[in-house]
Amino acid sequence: MTTSVTSSAVITGVGLALPGVDSAKDLLSTVDPAPEPVDPAARIGKKGLRYKDRATQLGLVAAHDALIAAGLLDGHGLKTSLKVAPEEVAVVVSSNFGNLDSVVEVVDTIAKECSSRLVSPIVTPNLSSNIVASEVAIRYTLRGPNLTVCNGATGGLDAVGWALSWLRAGRARYVLVVGVEPDNPVVRKLVGGDRVLDGAAALVLERPADAAEREAPALAECVRAVRTSSVAACTAALTAGGERPAAWYLPEGGAEVDQELLPGADRLDLAPVFGTTSGALGVLQLASAAGRYQTGERGPVLAVCGAEDDGVAGVLIRPGQD
Amino acid sequence: MTERWPITGVGAVASVGRTAEEIFESLCAGRTGLAPMREFTKDWYTAGELYEIQADTKDAAGQPSTAQRATGFLLDAVAQALADAGMDEDLGDIPVLVGTGLRELRSVERWWRDGDPLTAAGLHFGAALRERFNASNTHTFSNACSASLYALSLATDLLADEAGPEVVVVAGTDSITESMFGIADRVQSVPPGAVRPFDRNRMGTILGEGAAAVVLRRAPRDGAAPRGWVRGVGVNCDAIHATAPDAGMIAQVMRETHRRAGVAPAEIDLVMLHGTGTPANDLGEAQAMGEVFGEDVTSPVMTAMKSMTGHTSGGSGLHSLITALGSMRTGRIAPTITLDDPMDEVETFRIVRDKEASAKVSLAQINAFGFGGINAVAIVEAAS
Repeated sequence: MTTSVTSSAVITGVGLALPGVDSAKDLLSTVDPAPEPVDPAARIGKKGLRYKDRATQLGLVAAHDALIAAGLLDGHGLKTSLKVAPEEVAVVVSSNFGNLDSVVEVVDTIAKECSSRLVSPIVTPNLSSNIVASEVAIRYTLRGPNLTVCNGATGGLDAVGWALSWLRAGRARYVLVVGVEPDNPVVRKLVGGDRVLDGAAALVLERPADAAEREAPALAECVRAVRTSSVAACTAALTAGGERPAAWYLPEGGAEVDQELLPGADRLDLAPVFGTTSGALGVLQLASAAGRYQTGERGPVLAVCGAEDDGVAGVLIRPGQD
Repeated sequence: MTERWPITGVGAVASVGRTAEEIFESLCAGRTGLAPMREFTKDWYTAGELYEIQADTKDAAGQPSTAQRATGFLLDAVAQALADAGMDEDLGDIPVLVGTGLRELRSVERWWRDGDPLTAAGLHFGAALRERFNASNTHTFSNACSASLYALSLATDLLADEAGPEVVVVAGTDSITESMFGIADRVQSVPPGAVRPFDRNRMGTILGEGAAAVVLRRAPRDGAAPRGWVRGVGVNCDAIHATAPDAGMIAQVMRETHRRAGVAPAEIDLVMLHGTGTPANDLGEAQAMGEVFGEDVTSPVMTAMKSMTGHTSGGSGLHSLITALGSMRTGRIAPTITLDDPMDEVETFRIVRDKEASAKVSLAQINAFGFGGINAVAIVEAAS
């Protein structure tokens, strides 16, 4: 059982806020076993970051670099300006653990004091899980549709699927897709592990014709996005047009995926590099695929995310300029 | 011809009723859901009343549960909507789009502080919808108080696509989190006695809870009259302030929605106002309504149902939409029961007060605006 979205979009910008990684080409390699955490202030200036939670700060960094790379934004720090109409740029953020730290801090404070007296009103917006998407929109003046996907393991690829849907429906000309997860004690306790991503990746997607018209580089093309009930159904749906993928990105827990699936395609797993990446995974996969094409790889690639007791999402990717 | 999509089933739960029908009757009768709060420790807070659902929910296996309440409300509303649409409960790859403000963050609070069980998969609604309805194409959107109308807009995009699905289930759900209630309690040094939309003496919002769901199709089923039609949904983002609304961007999304739906303000018979009872929100909404409707602002009847349900957050847009469908069917408009002294900006608005009114409604506008300046407006049309 498959739901498929067929119109394509191209990736014209990638932005990363990842520990130990400078470029999309490096996403699959373990450069440093214990990298320094990303310092958002060093990347985009410390002004405007106060009272923002960790996920929001990481998201702002990745969004900044993706918009600059796509040629949609000029400037640096708080002095940036958008080069296109604000209404034309939509934002979709995928995050599952984004504001859990803010939420538990408030209930801890209340229980300790037996009162709401010491809770600071300044954290109010952080209690709503759309805080990253709204702060990204505010900082870079993005007035198109604004969506936060909190959809578990498929979230990053679902965000890409909704970006394709907006472009097809004409609701936006450019879509900024952000995948972000923070590392903190609440997240570690919930996932039951201490290797948790503390980072973000962002992509700018637009229609191939629009990218060509403004001579933006098409780093990769998202040909098709699907939702299915299993990993096997997902790879089958993505290759239904006879495509022979050179490689595929495995879902979280990829080591358990059936070894018979897609024989001949390289298995690419981001878990050994970043640990649990949850809602950011799908965006990381596409950023990495765009990086592969920069190194001269040409074959189509599949990105697959999901859990078989929930749902599985996939995207078929090929080089942007053939 | 303008596109429109039939709504073939509805379902809802809220403090004032456990079905869409019950809620509509309560609203028309002017019954409030405000009651002494159950979920939180009374001694810790100045406020003592919320618009809570005074009953346990059922989990995905059908067992009564006091946990995962947002999920329980959602499953209830979706089941009602499927039954109303004459569909069975095996959804397969039919998309289920769920808008929520606070997803299962109440469960996160109980897990972290009180030791309740929770896994990462329990933060959103996918696994529960898979277990209960065999739904494998589910989407949880955390889009604050406009979430369910945002989800509706995405559903219309899918249905407008030739390669898209025939049917989409759209829902909204929320249970009250202690963090959000606690921060309101901190900010409201004198607790508001009730949600008073557009009243000069409005003192802030009070949270409510519940869920709403609709079944939306590409075309009507043979021989079955729809509940009504979605004519168009517009969405945008202020990109100005994290919590304060912007009247200009709200006006812009209303105009965009009217354009999509192919309607003029003078043709709209009913407006379901967002009306949260906070000073800034109601002012922004009133200014935008005045700007977009101009002299025609005296034409539609209006009501703000949060005066009886409290702020049902992610579900509120669809709660209003389903109530509008009830008004279309019956000609009855629920009152805004707490509006005693209207603010200047709504002086000429025909907001129904005190008791229910009668009006023939063919076209209705639904407003929903959320934190982060995310705005959504829908136009629905009567079945006949």
